[in-house]
Amino acid sequence: MSAVTQRRRRLSGWIFVSPWLLGLLILFIYPFIASFLWSFTEYDLLTSPRYVGTDHYQRIAQEIASGEGFGKALVNTVYFAVVSVPLSIFMAISLAVMLNWKVRGQAIFRTLFYLPSMVPIVASSILWLWLLDPRDGMVNGFLGFFYEVPPLWFQGIQEAISLDTPLQFGSKDGLAMMSLWGVGNFMLIYLAAIGDIEPSLYHAAELDGAGVWQKFRHITLPMLSPIIFFNLILGIIQSVQAFTQVYIVSEGTGQPAESSLMISLQLFLSAFRDLEMGYASAIAWVLFALLGLATWGLFRTSKNWVHYRGVRM
Amino acid sequence: MSSMTGGEMNNQRTSVWRITLLIVVSALFMLPLVLMLLASLKPAEQLTGDPYSLLPERVVWSNYQQALEAIPYLKYLANSIVLCVGSVVGTVVSCSLVAYGFARLRWRGRKAMFAVLIATMLLPWHVTMIPRFVLFSELGLYNQLAAIILPTFLGDAFYIFMLRQFFMSIPEELSEAARLDGLSEFGIYWRIIVPLSKPALVTVAMFQLVVSWNDFSSPLLYLSDQEKFPLAYGLEQFVSSYSDQTHLLMAASVMFTLPMVFLFFVAQKSFTRGITMTGSK
Repeated sequence: MSAVTQRRRRLSGWIFVSPWLLGLLILFIYPFIASFLWSFTEYDLLTSPRYVGTDHYQRIAQEIASGEGFGKALVNTVYFAVVSVPLSIFMAISLAVMLNWKVRGQAIFRTLFYLPSMVPIVASSILWLWLLDPRDGMVNGFLGFFYEVPPLWFQGIQEAISLDTPLQFGSKDGLAMMSLWGVGNFMLIYLAAIGDIEPSLYHAAELDGAGVWQKFRHITLPMLSPIIFFNLILGIIQSVQAFTQVYIVSEGTGQPAESSLMISLQLFLSAFRDLEMGYASAIAWVLFALLGLATWGLFRTSKNWVHYRGVRM
Repeated sequence: MSSMTGGEMNNQRTSVWRITLLIVVSALFMLPLVLMLLASLKPAEQLTGDPYSLLPERVVWSNYQQALEAIPYLKYLANSIVLCVGSVVGTVVSCSLVAYGFARLRWRGRKAMFAVLIATMLLPWHVTMIPRFVLFSELGLYNQLAAIILPTFLGDAFYIFMLRQFFMSIPEELSEAARLDGLSEFGIYWRIIVPLSKPALVTVAMFQLVVSWNDFSSPLLYLSDQEKFPLAYGLEQFVSSYSDQTHLLMAASVMFTLPMVFLFFVAQKSFTRGITMTGSK
């Protein structure tokens, strides 16, 4: 190849990626720097930013200590992630195992299990808002047969312990239930991974007298562990970033009693209701740091339980 | 039947159990959708008077007509279509070009830039949201559908990554032969890579179509004029003003959901392929 064509090819590389480069500049690098700088300022969009040092970060630290504002949102977000992520993983794997059974109508069952995941989040939020209505909702209509005081769901808070009812489900549990209904994507990923497991592994285990549970525990689960890990990380990121469903079930307020005020919603409200861009930017950076820390921590522990091609990393 | 061995009978019994369980779980998963559909056909007074009844006392198709007018559905639909078409075109064009640059061309800095691309995927939207909003407002994009469409012409890291993987699996010899024939890089992209990558491009288009149809937060952030609302946002606005009109809310939700269900049935293969691709490295 001549030097000219080589140079032309090198140049054309930059030309082909130029749309993304432009995007990198105006959608990532500029906002990245601006939000970091603004987090040290008082900024209401109308007047120019005024430097206030680490005031916002100190406020966030105080709120974490007192459990108000950001502290409240942090607790809510962690609660939601801790309830919804493990349950979603369990649900997705169970459904995938069931879909892997060689029975007639396999394709139909796969479609039926997946269909709820195609329901737009706005529609499913409206639907569950109605289904989980404390008074007129079908779910409480059913629970009413067994419990005198059914849960309040989106109108309730789980922290208010009362002895009247064993079911203390509040707004965040309702949100977790919604996310369980839409686990279709990871279900399909697990299903594909189960299909990739060598049948000879199972045959060998059967010869050793392994039962259904033992095969699942010692073959299927370890082989799925890289995907469980991926699901865990992505699930945490998604539940921390959950916004649309949170906004809709609380009509954009995080009520009742701020029980559905998640970090994403609190950031949005601080920025666009209270016009506190500086404080909101600081929230974004604290969130970024916490997510980074959580991901790093999970990667550290992953050595002990994630197997790549049957080998522990 | 008498000749059946114990093992075969056991197998048959497990398979009956399994099918039963599959049917029960499918029913549970479909139940919310069925209830939505049934509620959309019930008379208003049934939903308030007898909320736990399953079947409509009489089927009220006019709920749909009423919802069409009340929302206003068709105006929002037109906006949704503009958003979807614009975003899908923007995404497919920009992401395929960028992916070609990363997958099929050797240039200095390519590896570093690719690492930057992956890094942008890890950045939560919270960090960039506010400055983007300020920037777009200053560019005069506030209350314009363009504020939501234009960024799709600047590529998306996830789709670029997906397409790059696909482009890399196309034999390099095809490109070499085309270069000897004097085809330009753009010619190779357009005449060889794009036609060979149709399934992957369709998958990306389908994904973006779903994302744009469902997108609630961008319209919430950028649009203030009701004339410009897409369905996802218009429907939410409808919730607060019609919270006691469950029959209309459900009819509207059904009309908002059906296109996605239809899309899934038409393009089930490319969805399934795309989703399982994200799980395998």
